[in-house]
Formats: sequence, structure tokens, C-alpha cells
Amino acid sequence: MEYKVEKKNAPGREQVEVLGPTFEEGKPEGEEMGHWRQKVASREEKLKYLRNGERYWFSQDWFGSEKRKNPA
Amino acid sequence: MAEKEAKSIDLATLEMIDKAAQDGAHVVFERAETTRPCPIGAEGSCCSICAMGPCRVMAPKGKQETLEDRRRRVGVCGATPETISARNFVRKIAAGTASHGDHGRVVAKFFLAVAKGEAPGYEIKDEQKLLQLALDLGVTIGDRSNKDIAVDIGNLMINEFGKQEGELLFLRRAPLKRQEIWRKNGVMPRGIDMEVAEAMHRTHMGTDQDYRDLLTAGVRTALADGWGGSMIATELQDIIFGTPAPVLSSINLGVLAEDKVNIIIHGHEPSLAEMMATVCQDPELIEYAKTKGAKGINLAGMCCTANEMLMRHGVPIAGNFLQQELAIVTGALEAIVVDVQCIMQGLVDTASCYHTKVITTDARAKIQGATHMPFEEHNAYESAKAIVKAAIDNYVNRGKNVRIPKYKQDMIAGFSHETINYLLGGMFRASYRPLNDNIINGRIRGVAAVVGCNNPRTPHDASNLIMVKELIKNDVLVVQTGCMAMASGKAGLMVPEAAKEFAGPGLASVCEAVGIPPVLHVGACIDNSRILMSTTAMVKDGGLGDDISDLPVAAAAPEWMSEKAIAIGQYAVGSGVFTVFGCNFPTTGNKEVSDFLFKEMEEIFGGMWAFEPDPLKAAQLMIAHIDKKRKALGIDKARERVLYDMAMRRALE
Repeated sequence: MEYKVEKKNAPGREQVEVLGPTFEEGKPEGEEMGHWRQKVASREEKLKYLRNGERYWFSQDWFGSEKRKNPA
Repeated sequence: MAEKEAKSIDLATLEMIDKAAQDGAHVVFERAETTRPCPIGAEGSCCSICAMGPCRVMAPKGKQETLEDRRRRVGVCGATPETISARNFVRKIAAGTASHGDHGRVVAKFFLAVAKGEAPGYEIKDEQKLLQLALDLGVTIGDRSNKDIAVDIGNLMINEFGKQEGELLFLRRAPLKRQEIWRKNGVMPRGIDMEVAEAMHRTHMGTDQDYRDLLTAGVRTALADGWGGSMIATELQDIIFGTPAPVLSSINLGVLAEDKVNIIIHGHEPSLAEMMATVCQDPELIEYAKTKGAKGINLAGMCCTANEMLMRHGVPIAGNFLQQELAIVTGALEAIVVDVQCIMQGLVDTASCYHTKVITTDARAKIQGATHMPFEEHNAYESAKAIVKAAIDNYVNRGKNVRIPKYKQDMIAGFSHETINYLLGGMFRASYRPLNDNIINGRIRGVAAVVGCNNPRTPHDASNLIMVKELIKNDVLVVQTGCMAMASGKAGLMVPEAAKEFAGPGLASVCEAVGIPPVLHVGACIDNSRILMSTTAMVKDGGLGDDISDLPVAAAAPEWMSEKAIAIGQYAVGSGVFTVFGCNFPTTGNKEVSDFLFKEMEEIFGGMWAFEPDPLKAAQLMIAHIDKKRKALGIDKARERVLYDMAMRRALE
């Protein structure tokens, strides 16, 4: 996804760049509808997603309710 | 009319039962009337494992049994009613585990063939899931190709079936406390095939004759299903065919088309079905169908193969287990193509009244009187093409006696645990936190899995609907697999709008915010392993205890019929989940065995069985259990929100 950046005037400062909306506009249609996994393309992104999104199993330092215990 | 309604609550089904009677076709609903269940077998009081019997050891009805009577009420070998009942139960677990295990093995071998490039037409579709398994299993990723990684994963998975010692690899995914409970009770499965073989040995004449020991061993066998064979099948199928994501489709016999060649694929394993979905779009075959007078090819699914195709491609579903013969009764079905499991032999007899071809495709599942067209994975496209062509050729034989019920319903499927995680948190922070938070704050009371089959001994789809509606009305989020998912789909419960109409206000508000139905389609019966993963994610996210048995969750199979369901129930209970079965229960003839399953198992595993044929009462049992867990967690009462000002914050420090 390409991030939209908007320039806005900040009080007492020059124009600053603000991250715009990050949702996908419109209603996806066809076979790809709902196929969210295509949003991460490269292997690095996929591994990053797994370590973050599937952190319950793959995070190095975060074990949710089990974080006081030794990892499995 | 009342008698007819007692057979099903589905209007398409009732219409086709009528048509079958008019056409002189025999279907399951009629056979269930003429063949009554054996009362001795139904309660688990018959032992037929050796040639000294069969021995019947029923408890006397309506009179007190003396000690002497009780001593005499044993098999010829002296096996007590407890031993006999437990052995029968464990044999069902072994058969169910073997079925899911064999499915998993075939998928694992197929996966390895795909990885090695020996199955043309198939590829690794979901790299992310491949990497997920690689991380799980400790397979080196680095700069290696997907194929190399897949070969390592395939070999590790195949090894799980024949392993003789150690622990199954996916058991590491479970909450730590759960693993400790399993180890403490000696039920960590070692190898999938080994657990099935040992269960069959233990239940052989003259081996394990302690019902508690038998039933505990049954937990180990069943865990080899849920955290073994089933999980392997689900995970590897996701890699090859794609991890399910929400997809809109439709369901019921009305998905058949009057002017097209109708093909139904029925069974459980998706490799043929995936290729059929591709082949049916082949322009050459569509043109060929037109030369026969049809306007095209219409592929639909039945049972769990249907679930697999639905959640990955949106292929419509013609119906669930009890509707398989009724699809033929429409007179509009050119071929019913079957693979394995839950395929009634009655299909052939029903088809003899119409033009439908019953085509078996798997070497393990042939049916007398059916046409066998082997599906060869190394030559998948051509195999599938030959099957579709046979169906097209049969179109010209369609008679005039065609009536397709008009009933069909939109539904959304494809809620894998990865997708639920994504839907709740988005790409940047996929999470089960919103689910846990809404359980803690009471908008969602708990989560219930309602799964399993249909059974003509109870009105088709009725128990499921009564149960599911009661659960969501009481703010319990429902997840479903198999034929029960289809029953809810047909009733319009698997669309987001259902939340407003059927769900309690708390659940409805969460469903509306996330944009999901109150009843989530999680997949085929093999995909109950996805539910194990979701519950584990709930535990690991925190705030709801540190084991699956701490969660406010429950499970049910209100219309179960197959041995696979017993295996699933046992691994759910063994994983800490309260599980209610409807229809009948195979240990009701023995109080001691039933007490172990219904009471003692909770002390050992945190989960226990229950039997309640009334679906409303069963739902209330589930809700009561969920409330019990909420109370234990201290989240049973709404707490007043206090907004802290600075002085209060300072006071905290």
C-alpha cells in the first residue's frame, strides 16, 4: 500500500507532513475480494507480519498471558 | 405435514423428499424410518470384538440390580460393562483419528509432491503460511526457495505419522499450561499412526480392561487427530490452495442450474475439487457442454469438500450431508463426484432412478455400482477433465422429470484463525485483543463452536438452528465447521445482517463494528484444528486465564453421526473445552463410563463431555458453562468505569 501524505500548517511551525488515510477506498470486487494476504508482498514483509501479527507464536519477546513463563 | 417437518426444517429438503417419494427413489429419510437404531448398540452395551460373543451387557430397566446380578452382567471373557462401553468409545475415537489422519497423510504426501514439482498444475499459493510453518517447525528460511523450504516441511510432516517416540510437533503451539496438563497425565501423542494402532491394540480382546485407563488413552489418540492429522491437513492445504479469507457465495439445492451441466463434488479432500474448479472454467469444455445443448457447466459442492471449495473459491454449496441423495432427486444432476468420507452408498440406488452418474475417484473409496474414474495427482488436469467430460456427455440423458427447489441463500465463509486475527486488528496490529476485550467487558459473553454432521434421527438442521440462535441471542459468538456451518448458512445466519436480526445487543454491536456475521464459517470438519488455534490465541493474548480451560468457551455437535465427531469431541475435551453432544451418546448404557466422561474428565483435563438431546437445553448448558468460566475469571459483573483525574493518578503512585 502506498501511503498518502498530506501537508498541513502547524501552529508556530512551517508546513508539516501528516500521514493521510490508510484505508482502501471503494468496495473490492471479484475473485480477490477479501483476500487480504496479498497486501504483504515480499518475504521480508511476510516475516515481519508473522512476528508482529502472529506474535502469539513467533514474537521473540512477547508471550501474552504466558510472558512470565519460559517459551514452549 | 407435521411428520414431514419432523424430517427437516429445510424447505428445499422437504420438497425433494416429496419428489423422491413420487419418483419411487429411496433416500436416507425413508431408510431411517424402516431401519430403527439397535437399542443395545446405541447405548454402547454390545461387545463384538471376539468370536465368543457378541455379548450384550445392558443394565436392567426399571428394577434394582443385585450384587450377584451385577457380577453376572459381563461378557463371556468377564469384561465388565464399563470395559465394553469404554472400548467401544475408544474404537470410535481411533476410527475418527484414523480418518482425519489418513486425510492428513495424503495431503502431506501430495504437498511434498507439489514441493518437488511432481504434481503439475499445483503450486505453493500461500508463501506467508509456508513461512509460518517454517517458523513453527524450525525450518531454515534465509534465502532458500519456497520449494526447498516446502520439501523440508513436507518431510517433517510425513514423519509425524510414523514417529515412534517424542511428541507431535504442533503440540508446541498449545498454551504452555495445557502442554503441562497433557505431560502430567501422559497423553502427549507420539506419532499419529502409533496412537491409532495402540488404541486398536488396547481395545483388543483381553488387553486394557480398566475403563479410566482406556478413556485417558483415548485422549492421547484424539489429540493425535486435533493437534496432529487434522492440523497437518489444514495447514498444508492452506499453503497449496491458499489460506481462507472471507468470500461471498450461496447455498442450498437452488444453486443447481436447469440449463447447465450440473456437477457436484462431495467428500472431504480438496485436491481433486481444486482441479475441478479450474477445469470447469476451461473454455474448451464449456464449448463442449454447449454442443450438448447446455449453456455451460455449473460446479457445486456437498459436505466438507464443498466447504473447502467454498472458502477458497466461493464455489456454491448444494447442501449438507443429508441432502446428498436429494441433489440427485432434482433430476438435474449429471454427476456426483466423490472422494472420501460421509458418502452414502445409497447414492447409487437413488441414482438408478435418474440419469445421474455416481463417480468415485479415490482408490480407498469405491462403491459397488458406481463408475470409478481414478484421480491421479501427477496428471490432475487430465484426470479432472475426463470426469467433467463424462458429466457433460451425460447431459443428453437428462429426463423430463426435473425440479430444482428455488431455495438458496447468500452466505459468507472463510474465517480462518489468521483472517479473524487480521480482521480484528488490521495489517499493522493483527490481534485477538478486541475479542478478549469485548469478552472481558461483557459485550460478548463467550465463544461457542457448533460443529459436526447431520443425523436423520433428529430433524435435519433443526437442532443446530435452535442452538445457534439461542447462543447468539445471548451474546455468544458462534464459530462453525462442517455440515452444521452449512445448516446455519442455509438459514441466513452467515451474513453480517444476521447480527442485527438474531444476535443480542452486545454481540451485534461488535459484529457491526468489525463487519462480520455473528456466526463464523471456519471451514470443513478437518478445520476444527483452526478453532484450537483461535482458542490458543485467545489464551496467549491475555486477560482470560492461561489455559484453554479457563476461557469462557464451549463446543457442541447437536446432530453428530460419525466416528470422526467422537474423535473431535474427545480432543476438544482433552484440550479443556466443555463439549455437548446431541442425538444420542454411545456410553449412555453405562453410568460409570458416562460419569468419567461427563464429570471426572473436568478434574483431569479441565474440559468434559455432556449429552443433551434437547438443543435449547444444550445451548443453556453451554451458556451456563460460559458464565461459570466468566465468574472464575472475575468478569461476570460489569464494573463501573472510573475516569481518573491527576490527583487520583498521583495517589496511585
